[in-house]
Amino acid sequence: MFKNEEMEINLGPQHPSTHGVLRVKLRLDGETVTHCRPMIGYLHRGVEKICENQSFFQGQVWTDRMDYCSAVANNLGWAEANEKLLGITVPRRAQYIRTLLNEFNRIASHLIWLGTHAMDIGALTVFLYAFREREDVLDINEAFCGSRLTTTAFRIGGLREDLPPGFEKMVRKFLAKFSDCLEEYEALLTENRIWKKRTIGVARLSAEDAIALGVTGPMLRAAGVAYDIRKAFPYAAYAEMDFEIPTRTEADTYARYQVRMAEMRQSARIIQQCMDGMPEGPVMAKLPKILRSEVNEVYHATESPKGEIGYYLVGEKGSLNPYRFHVRAPGFINLQSLPKMAEGGLIADVVAAIGSLDIVLGEIDR
Amino acid sequence: MSEPNVPQTPEAAEVPAGPYVYDYKAAPYRQITMPKTVPLPSYHAYVAEQKAAAEADEAKWQKTLADYETAKAKAEAEGKDAPKPPVRPVPRKDDNDMKPPVPQEATDADLLKLKELLGDKVEEIFEQAGELVCQVKKEAIHEALAFCRDEAALKYEMLADQSATHYPAAKDYACSVVYHLTSISRRKRLRLRILVPEGFAPESACSLYPSANWMEREIYDMLGIRFQNHPDMTRILCPEDWEGYPLRKDYPTVGWGQRDIAFREDRGGMLERIALQKAGQLGINLKQPKAD
Repeated sequence: MFKNEEMEINLGPQHPSTHGVLRVKLRLDGETVTHCRPMIGYLHRGVEKICENQSFFQGQVWTDRMDYCSAVANNLGWAEANEKLLGITVPRRAQYIRTLLNEFNRIASHLIWLGTHAMDIGALTVFLYAFREREDVLDINEAFCGSRLTTTAFRIGGLREDLPPGFEKMVRKFLAKFSDCLEEYEALLTENRIWKKRTIGVARLSAEDAIALGVTGPMLRAAGVAYDIRKAFPYAAYAEMDFEIPTRTEADTYARYQVRMAEMRQSARIIQQCMDGMPEGPVMAKLPKILRSEVNEVYHATESPKGEIGYYLVGEKGSLNPYRFHVRAPGFINLQSLPKMAEGGLIADVVAAIGSLDIVLGEIDR
Repeated sequence: MSEPNVPQTPEAAEVPAGPYVYDYKAAPYRQITMPKTVPLPSYHAYVAEQKAAAEADEAKWQKTLADYETAKAKAEAEGKDAPKPPVRPVPRKDDNDMKPPVPQEATDADLLKLKELLGDKVEEIFEQAGELVCQVKKEAIHEALAFCRDEAALKYEMLADQSATHYPAAKDYACSVVYHLTSISRRKRLRLRILVPEGFAPESACSLYPSANWMEREIYDMLGIRFQNHPDMTRILCPEDWEGYPLRKDYPTVGWGQRDIAFREDRGGMLERIALQKAGQLGINLKQPKAD
């Protein structure tokens, strides 16, 4: 042990910085990581199998419980995949409300990431500020659909209910103060010397490696690739929205922090546009009482706060439930890049790398 | 020769199970209904099905006409009034926003290019719901992926998703494996598909797209398809010693690994109460039979 022997240790599965039950097998040479192997599956509930045995509608509650920090984004991907499978056109007002809620969800998810990631690295204060604004977003969720985290916000073909009275006032109130709040977080972190020392140049992942490993979302955009599904393959009402894709080229933890902070500003912009240009009309498409699919297979991907969430559905002729229900979870694919980022670095930076991945184990294990 | 430190356990007496032991293996949810059809989208199959349906419709109409003619002749012979001539039924138009997408002939340049490059290794190309599908021979998948990645006209840089589906009702194959490729520079998506029979190990995509590593492990874990030349073909979500492949259609949703409750060991009666409650929910009468 005191010579040049390598030591093998387990990070997790109960370590708080692993955001759930992730176990990382590390081999260390001193403090340097020489080998890293993430082990997952502790939260495996068989969501895909369950959804294959339930009707098209019932799958939604399971998508809430995959990535419980961004339930609305999961609902949106699920609803659109089902609509693509069944060939349903959704009214324009429903598209706008979906876009609005989805962007609120992006803010909530990034805020939870900001608080916990900063806490992992040692900046405890940000957590309290970030959760203050997240609470407001959850209140907006509650005003719309009655629940805060597991929203079950949408229906196949649109929405169950229109916006409640007083909703617009809540949204405007949030938008009025949110840019000041973002400046507050940035005042705590952006020029903080300790934060910069812990993040700049840490856990690099180049654009080539990221694309080869299938990494998407802010991780890829921090490496300089302006790939955002909201722009590349527009869905919901994103084709009508005016927003930018923030990118950085440093590809380290600090760049990912900057990208996510800039994304929250863009989300606020999209919410503003949705609220201003909200069209009138119905929120639910005209559908038959029982949905029966034809023989078809679809893969529909949307941009969740973590990256590309894709649903692969296979429909059977005349069937009430999907024949195959597969979820391409962004966390599952992004976590593959952890060895690439961690190997050769220090053990303390493994925690920074896991934090910058923004993983939720409920989605990885499904 | 027995060791002195090991306590000797008496042999368990052969106690027959009570008549009210809840048999999980016969539980209603444990019964699997295997799919009877093969929902594999295909342009050829769709065209053939449409043609058959049109022919059947036409034959039915001709039969109705013939029946009418005979009925008319009979009525004339008997001096009665002629029956009403039949009206050909028009398919009812649904007044809703649901139009299920149907397979269409491939017109996209990428699919035609792949067909040109791979020749007869391509089994089928078509488009459905705006998605490009190319089904290739199972031995040629590595070659097809290499073309998709490296060919200047295609340039699919990222393997976004890889998945498989079990088709127990199919004759020539057991599973389909699909590869969802994304071209970030050209903003396009493509689906490659192979059909693999039981026991066939397709070539792994890891050497071309490293992101396939975990996805192929997941497919092996969930459907039992092994991939050749994969760096680490082990289970990923289930434990290493798990039996069976959960996403196969012959795998039950409940009952697997569930312990049967032995009532004779349940001294406090708690397990019995739980089981009776559970059985009540399932609509099964598990009450202890009355003693004679």
